[in-house]
Amino acid sequence: MPHVMISSKKCTGCHMCELGCSAFHEGGFQPSRARLFAEVNPTTAVIKGHTCLQTGCAKCEAACTNGAIVRRTVTVTPSGDFPGKEKVGESVTGVVLVVDEDKCSACGDCYDVCPYGVIHEHPERKVAFKCDLCEGDPQCIAFCQNQYVLAVDLKVDKADRAIAAEV
Amino acid sequence: MDFYKGRVLKIDMSSRTADVEPLNMDWARLYVGGKGLMLRYLWELTEPGMDPWSPENPLIIAPGPFAGTNVSTCSRVVLGGKSPASGTILDSYCGGSFGSVMKFAGYDMIIVQGCAPELTAVLISDDEVSFVPAAKYAGMLTAELEASLRTDFDPHMTSLSVGPAGEKKLPWACVSNDQYHKAGRGGTGALMGSKNLKAIAVAGTGRVDVGDARAFLDDIERIDTDYILTDTNYWVHEEGTPVLVDVTNGGGCQPTRNYAAGSFDGADKINSDAFKKIRVKKRACYQCTLACRNFHRMDDVEGEGPEYETIALCGSNCGIDDIGALMEFNHLCDEYGLDTISTGNVMGLAMDLTEKGIHDFGLHFGDAESYLKVPELLATRSGIGAELAMGTRALAAKYGHPELGMEVKGLEAPGYDPRGSFGMSIAYATSDRGACHMRSFPIGVEVVEGSMPADTLDESKAEFNVNFQNHYAFKFCGIWCDFWAIDYEQMGMLMKHLWKRDVTEEEMTQVGERVWNLGRLFNLREGFGRDEVPEAWLEKPFTKGVSAGKIIGTTRFNEVLNKYYALRGWDENGVPTEAKLTELGMDVRL
Repeated sequence: MPHVMISSKKCTGCHMCELGCSAFHEGGFQPSRARLFAEVNPTTAVIKGHTCLQTGCAKCEAACTNGAIVRRTVTVTPSGDFPGKEKVGESVTGVVLVVDEDKCSACGDCYDVCPYGVIHEHPERKVAFKCDLCEGDPQCIAFCQNQYVLAVDLKVDKADRAIAAEV
Repeated sequence: MDFYKGRVLKIDMSSRTADVEPLNMDWARLYVGGKGLMLRYLWELTEPGMDPWSPENPLIIAPGPFAGTNVSTCSRVVLGGKSPASGTILDSYCGGSFGSVMKFAGYDMIIVQGCAPELTAVLISDDEVSFVPAAKYAGMLTAELEASLRTDFDPHMTSLSVGPAGEKKLPWACVSNDQYHKAGRGGTGALMGSKNLKAIAVAGTGRVDVGDARAFLDDIERIDTDYILTDTNYWVHEEGTPVLVDVTNGGGCQPTRNYAAGSFDGADKINSDAFKKIRVKKRACYQCTLACRNFHRMDDVEGEGPEYETIALCGSNCGIDDIGALMEFNHLCDEYGLDTISTGNVMGLAMDLTEKGIHDFGLHFGDAESYLKVPELLATRSGIGAELAMGTRALAAKYGHPELGMEVKGLEAPGYDPRGSFGMSIAYATSDRGACHMRSFPIGVEVVEGSMPADTLDESKAEFNVNFQNHYAFKFCGIWCDFWAIDYEQMGMLMKHLWKRDVTEEEMTQVGERVWNLGRLFNLREGFGRDEVPEAWLEKPFTKGVSAGKIIGTTRFNEVLNKYYALRGWDENGVPTEAKLTELGMDVRL
């Protein structure tokens, strides 16, 4: 299933992903409300990406007693390019987990179980908010340094391996 | 409001209080942001002849209007005031993340005045500003200090801080952000230190508006693809600044052994190829797609840099070709908070004085062991550091050899000797903060591209410098980074979002020229007049290398300087005429 991951090794720590994400969803640049983030130690250059693995994780879905985490079909066509490399334009259709705001009570159960810290209560609307892959054109990828730094991972098995490694 | 937050944070260290004032939007229209807006506030806040070490000297911190958006490279922030190193304007820039984050905290500008009774840290978290006694951070080096601030206050904050050099008011102490990003030149750290200010840390959760955000994103994505991620800019990602070592060495303009030569035998040990072998990864400033920074690791030293200027001034200019020693030296300067350009100049001079038998500082060209002790000695003003701390101009004068000190207006020279790039003589002479390569860079056409001859000085070079300075004065209002080779057409695409209308090249040039004239007026007000450069650059040719035997000549230099003044609409002492100030719509006069 499609989801976004940040390669710690390739990430340069520019935070463009957070900027693009927040502008797309919040109407202005506000990384404190981004749906993903890169944790950067400026001295050691050690970087850890925090992104939603969608159905490959789904702990929020399992924890929600209101049925507010719902599955939505999405076709993802990432954009972004870099000199000498092909456009990363391959489309993939799959399922993302989104918040049904009518059902969400902002109880916080999902915040506690998220292994990556990427589902939170929205500061203005009293509901949870999370990554939904930007209607199929993830802005984090569009504004990533280069396409090799951050990419939509299209394989379920890879996601499973990542979860096993990090949790 | 779009782009601007409309707020200036004024901090008084003496009373340890802070107030918020509205941003002067009339000035924002005339001077845009960054350099220009900083200079306008500086002019307003200072009396003529102000002692740069006095509490009244403001430390003005200003990013440009595009900070906090995804316009590439615009996280840059200017630190301004009156330079403790030279007495000229101080405008020193750093990347990192401070410029963007202070916008998220809600400020277009931070102005710090006064002097705290004890060492103090200022913490800004959105609207909350607090003053914390910083005795426990006294003498702390950059890495430990930044880590302590994150642990003690907020893991998301970023800071501007000084090392021991700033606390001791070394005239060329710098300010650090995110460890490796330095507002290096002109004594920003000395200015902070003179206020008993160890660090300003900021965390912000707010928003920067741009109008229709999704339309803006689409346009920026197009600009990224068409104008940033291009072959023109790609060198900064692939190589970074160390690529300049081969360029200047080949052009005979790389400072070597205190400017005794323009090329260095050991250059291939400290060039880009050598550094690539120890490169671990690429790093970027906040909101930058270019990622020019090289993170290196060698033995037990790791970190970003050294950049070209450090390699030239602390490498070849000190006769050092040991890449490990250079890595270690750069690390020490980062930690203690020293500008490497001035440090390398002072050391090269001390080595020269030693080897000529004038005074024995115990420093010798190529001797890494003694060289590696200097950063700590300088930053603590102990041992030979107590004397070296007077800087190049005073040190050369003290020992009766002013001709050995390479500086303009008291600021030490960067890594491009004008004897291998004649146009640089006018660039350095007319630079508004003393010897600086970031106002005009004729070496780009004279040596890198070869589209203008390197060994001629005529009216075309005067014109080149005028145009480049106007371009960069505007660019540093943005604040776009030097490493994005952005032209007026591309800046216009972004200015259209800011001013919500088409913006012409003429308008942008005029803002740049206005800013340049404002800097000139400030320097004239503070007692500077007709511009000069070290005599050696004009009259003492190199004896070896591609630039051997070539002389600019004092007479020719002055003829071209006069042409430069005429093109600027200035008189023979470099004073702007009333007609020029009126033409530019300037709202200040001497």
